[in-house]
Amino acid sequence: MALDTFVAMFRPPFAWREFILQSWFVARVSIVPTLMLAIPFTVLLVFTFNVLLVEFGAADFSGTGAAIGTVTQIGPIVTVLVVAGAGATAMCADLGARTIRDELDALRVMGINPIQSLVVPRVLAATLVALMLSASVVVVGIAGGFFFSVYFQHVTPGAFVAGLTLITGPADVVVALVKAMLFGLSAGLIACYKGISVGGGPAGVGNAVNETVVFTFIALFVINVLATAVGVQATA
Amino acid sequence: MTARSMTGHLRLRRFIDDSVDGWNRIGRQTKFYGRTLRGIWDALVFYPGEVIRLIAQMGLGAGALAVIGGTIAIVGFLTLSTGALVAVQGYNQFSTVGVEALTGFASAFFNVRLIAPLTAGVGMAATIGAGATAQLGAMRINEEIDALEVIGIRAIAYLASSRVVAGIIVVVPLYCVAVLMSFLAARFGTTYIYGQSTGVYDHYFRTFLNPTDLLWSFLQAVAMAFVIMLVHTFYGFTAHGGPAGVGEAVGRAVRTSLIVAALVTVMISLAVYGQSGNFNLSG
Repeated sequence: MALDTFVAMFRPPFAWREFILQSWFVARVSIVPTLMLAIPFTVLLVFTFNVLLVEFGAADFSGTGAAIGTVTQIGPIVTVLVVAGAGATAMCADLGARTIRDELDALRVMGINPIQSLVVPRVLAATLVALMLSASVVVVGIAGGFFFSVYFQHVTPGAFVAGLTLITGPADVVVALVKAMLFGLSAGLIACYKGISVGGGPAGVGNAVNETVVFTFIALFVINVLATAVGVQATA
Repeated sequence: MTARSMTGHLRLRRFIDDSVDGWNRIGRQTKFYGRTLRGIWDALVFYPGEVIRLIAQMGLGAGALAVIGGTIAIVGFLTLSTGALVAVQGYNQFSTVGVEALTGFASAFFNVRLIAPLTAGVGMAATIGAGATAQLGAMRINEEIDALEVIGIRAIAYLASSRVVAGIIVVVPLYCVAVLMSFLAARFGTTYIYGQSTGVYDHYFRTFLNPTDLLWSFLQAVAMAFVIMLVHTFYGFTAHGGPAGVGEAVGRAVRTSLIVAALVTVMISLAVYGQSGNFNLSG
C-alpha cells in the first residue's frame, strides 16, 4: 500500500482540496499540544544538562546543550509524538469509520481510487505539518530553555545565546527537518494503512487506533536512531 | 446595525459558553479523578480478580499487540532504541571535544534522569493507556458501562480504579526492563559499534551510576503511570459519538497524558534535584 501511495502521489489529479483541509486539521489539533509538550521536555533537558555544566563550572555553555538537544532530538521527537498522537489517531479513526461503513467500497464503485483521493492527501498533510511543527518546536524549545536557564539557574543571557550556535550548525537543522519529515510520512502511512484495513466493527476501530499509536511510536524510535546515525556521519 | 449588534452579541455569548464549558470540563475531570481514587479501595476489596486479570492483560498485551510481545516488549524496544541513541549522539558529541571516554557517564546520567522515564512514559501512554481508552470507549458506546451500573456494579471502581491500580503495579517490572534495556543498548552501541573498550565504558558508567537517582527515577515512572492511567480512563469513560468518537478520544487522551506526564516528570525532577542537582563530579 505504501508503494501504491507513492505511485499515486505523482499521478494527477491531485486532491488539493482534501490536502489543504487535512493539513489545516492536523495543524489545528497539533499546535497547542506540541507547544505544551515542547516546553517541559526542553526544561527537563536544560535542567539536567545545566546541573552537569554548573558542576564543571561551565554554565555559560548551557546554550550549547540546549541547542543541540532541542534541534537534534527534542524537535523531531516531540513533533512526531504529537502528530502521531493527535493527527494520526484522528486520521485512522476517520478512515476506519469510513471503512466499516463500506464507504471506501462505494468510492471504488464510483471509479474513484480511495488511495489517491483520501490516503495521498493525508500522508502529505502529515508530512508537511510535521515539517512545519518541528521548526516551531525548536524555536519554542530554545526560548523555553533560555527563560529557564536565565531566570532560574542564573546563566548569563549573552553567554547562552552565544553558545547556541557553537556545535549546532545549519547541517544539524537540515537533518532535524528531514527527520521530522520522515516521521510525519511514516506516521501518515501507518495511520492510513491501519484505517483502511480495519475490520470487526466499532471495537475494531478502537483497536486499530491503538495499534496505530503503538506502531508509529516504534517506527519513530527506529527511524530516529538510524537517521541520527546517518546525520551524525553526514555532518561530522 | 441591529444585525451587526446581533452577531456581536452571539459571538460574545458563544465565547462565554465556551469558557464556561471549559471550566465545567475541568470540574468534571477532577470529580472523575476523585471518584476513581476513592474507588481504588473498592476495587482492591471487591474486584481483586478483575485487577489481577488487568495486570496480566497489560503486561502481555491484548489482541494483535500480543503477537509482537506485548507491552513489556514494546517499552523495552523503545528504550532499547533511545539507549542506542545515547551511544550514537553521546559518543559523537563527546568525541568532537575529545572526551568520548565519558559516554559511559552519559549513559549513567542521562538515561536514569531523563531518557528512561520519558521514554517509558511515552511507551506506557501508547500501549497501556491507549489500550485502556479504546476498551473503555468501546464499552461506553456499546452501552456496556450503563449495563454494568444497572446490574449494581460500581462502574468507576470496577473499570477505572482497577486499571489505575493495575497500571501502577505493571509499571514496576516494566520500568526495570526499560532501564536495563537502555543501559544495555548504550553499552552495546558504544563498545561494539563505535569500538570503545568495555573497561573504559564500564569504569565511567559505574563511577557515575547513582543508586539514589535510580530510585527517584522509579518514583517518576510510577507517578507517570498513575496520571497516565487516570487521564486515559477518563477519556475512555466519557467517549461518545460512535466508532470515530472512540478513535478521537484515544487521540485526545494520548495528547493530554503525554503533556501531563512530561509536566509530572519536570516537577519531580525539579523537586528532587533542586538547584544544586545532587551531583558531584568528584564522586
